Amino acid sequence: MATQTESESSGGVLMRDRLVKRVGEAAAGGFVLAIGGLLAWILSTQVDYELLSSPLIARRFAEAFFLVVQIVVISSLLSVTLGVFVGLGRISTSRITGRIAKGYVEFFRGTPLLFQLFVIYFGVPRLWATGEFPFPDWALPAAIIGLTLNHGAYVGEAIRGGIDAVPDGQMEAARSLGMSRVMALREVVLPQAWRNALAAIGNDQIILVKDTSLLTVIAVPEIMSVFRNINSNQLDPWTPLVWVCVLYLVITMSMSQLVNGLERRSDWGSDSRMFGRLSGLGSGGDADGGEEA
Amino acid sequence: MTRPLVEFDGVDKSFGDTQVLYDVDLSVDEGEVVVVIGPSGSGKSTLLRCTNRLEEIQAGDIRLDGRSVIETDVNEIRQQIGMVFQSFNLFPHKTALENVALAPEKVKGRPEAEAREAAAELLDRVGLADQAESYPNALSGGQQQRVAIARALAMEPKVMLFDEVTSALDPELVGEVLDVIEGLAADGMTMVLVTHEMGFAREVGDRIVLMADGRVVERTETASFFEEPGTERGRQFLSRLL
Ligand SMILES: Nc1ncnc2c1ncn2[C@@H]1O[C@H](COP(=O)(O)OP(=O)(O)OP(=O)(O)O)[C@@H](O)[C@H]1O
Ligand SMILES: [Mg+2]
Repeated sequence: MATQTESESSGGVLMRDRLVKRVGEAAAGGFVLAIGGLLAWILSTQVDYELLSSPLIARRFAEAFFLVVQIVVISSLLSVTLGVFVGLGRISTSRITGRIAKGYVEFFRGTPLLFQLFVIYFGVPRLWATGEFPFPDWALPAAIIGLTLNHGAYVGEAIRGGIDAVPDGQMEAARSLGMSRVMALREVVLPQAWRNALAAIGNDQIILVKDTSLLTVIAVPEIMSVFRNINSNQLDPWTPLVWVCVLYLVITMSMSQLVNGLERRSDWGSDSRMFGRLSGLGSGGDADGGEEA
Repeated sequence: MTRPLVEFDGVDKSFGDTQVLYDVDLSVDEGEVVVVIGPSGSGKSTLLRCTNRLEEIQAGDIRLDGRSVIETDVNEIRQQIGMVFQSFNLFPHKTALENVALAPEKVKGRPEAEAREAAAELLDRVGLADQAESYPNALSGGQQQRVAIARALAMEPKVMLFDEVTSALDPELVGEVLDVIEGLAADGMTMVLVTHEMGFAREVGDRIVLMADGRVVERTETASFFEEPGTERGRQFLSRLL
């Protein structure tokens, strides 16, 4: 009897599951059709293919593209490095260091990147007497500083989360072997924290790529600036927009590939299995004790 | 002939306002195997963790080989005390061999080749020569715990502390770990073991220390403890087990 009801109800669940799946497929299919149709229409009626492939446009986008790639590489390396120190600061045994790291994170996550860029690009040079500011081409340094400080905060939080997810027993085991706290962090905790944080860091770095589009307002000749230029000269938004879309996707998808590669490289068995086993331990031990008693 | 290697002298330990060790006196001779037993929460783990200063004590002193543990540099004293945990705590990003070689290399500054060679010998000693290149996640619980023992031994400690090292294992894996510990006992290693395996305690222990409510309530030669405990507490504890 019981088994029959069970199979009936699971049959019902199966039916419902299948229905949900079909509805989902229909919705997704409809969406693809609608967007695909719109896209096809735009690409066939709005895009000027002669302009699209003209050397003039191609050269200007190529220049902007390589500039953005440089900005991304430098800001990425700097922000991840900074983030490791911010993350370490957050878990510091020194209360002062911890507070400073926290304040830093609160500020840079709590205000818009555009505001931060304005502070650095417009505000900072005014701290010098007129004409005294030592960097004539301040836009690019300001951009890199802004992106680094902003994303250093996000990476820092990702690293801190990664450190928190390392079981306390790891630090204890390392310290029990006579390692100093710093050595234990470096050799044992951080490599695991890095692995734990990698997905979150990757997400943030993809956002960093897209954040370079904001640099158009501080006169960095990046991809969006080229678009604005061409659009206002030719009064044709769609043609340069195709370029913009493709170029950003090239960078963000390469970034995803890089992160995937890094994740694969640090694959020494899945954490979920490891945590599963560890958390299973406590309750398993207790249960055994209970049976003995 | 025998000399005390580990000595607890009036040790008090509190977590905040809750005192968990009261005036603990205990002495472990060189080459002796002391088994600490007692009900859950009686302070057995805390006793071990105070020895290598994972926990700070509030009163009394603990000496290792005549030197106060409290007054010695913490990283130096820990090199002389091997600790094995219930949950293994192997480093998941290192192979079995690297787990064992890491501390000799980084802490003692041994050359890498030498540290790895010594690590390979230790893995052989715990029966895992063929698993040297495996990551912990690919090993069974019993294998992981044997690597953990090899890792502790790699620092050539004067004394080994074992905290319920078989409690997390499937029953069929307990034996292989206990065999390794028995081997160490036969080699004359000084050990303090917390365990619920009474059969094993009886076999390997020279002395039984019974703890209850943060105090050492009985310390007796193993054989006589199991035949006739010296205290009412001991009798109660044994009868509850049977
Ligand atoms: N970090 C801590 N903070 C506060 N109290 C603690 C802490 N660690 C242990 N205690 C308390 O100290 C007492 C002794 O704990 P301990 O872990 O030493 O007992 P045990 O004899 O090892 O028990 P078990 O057999 O369950 O492992 C317990 O009451 C426990 O709740
Ligand atoms: Mg315990």
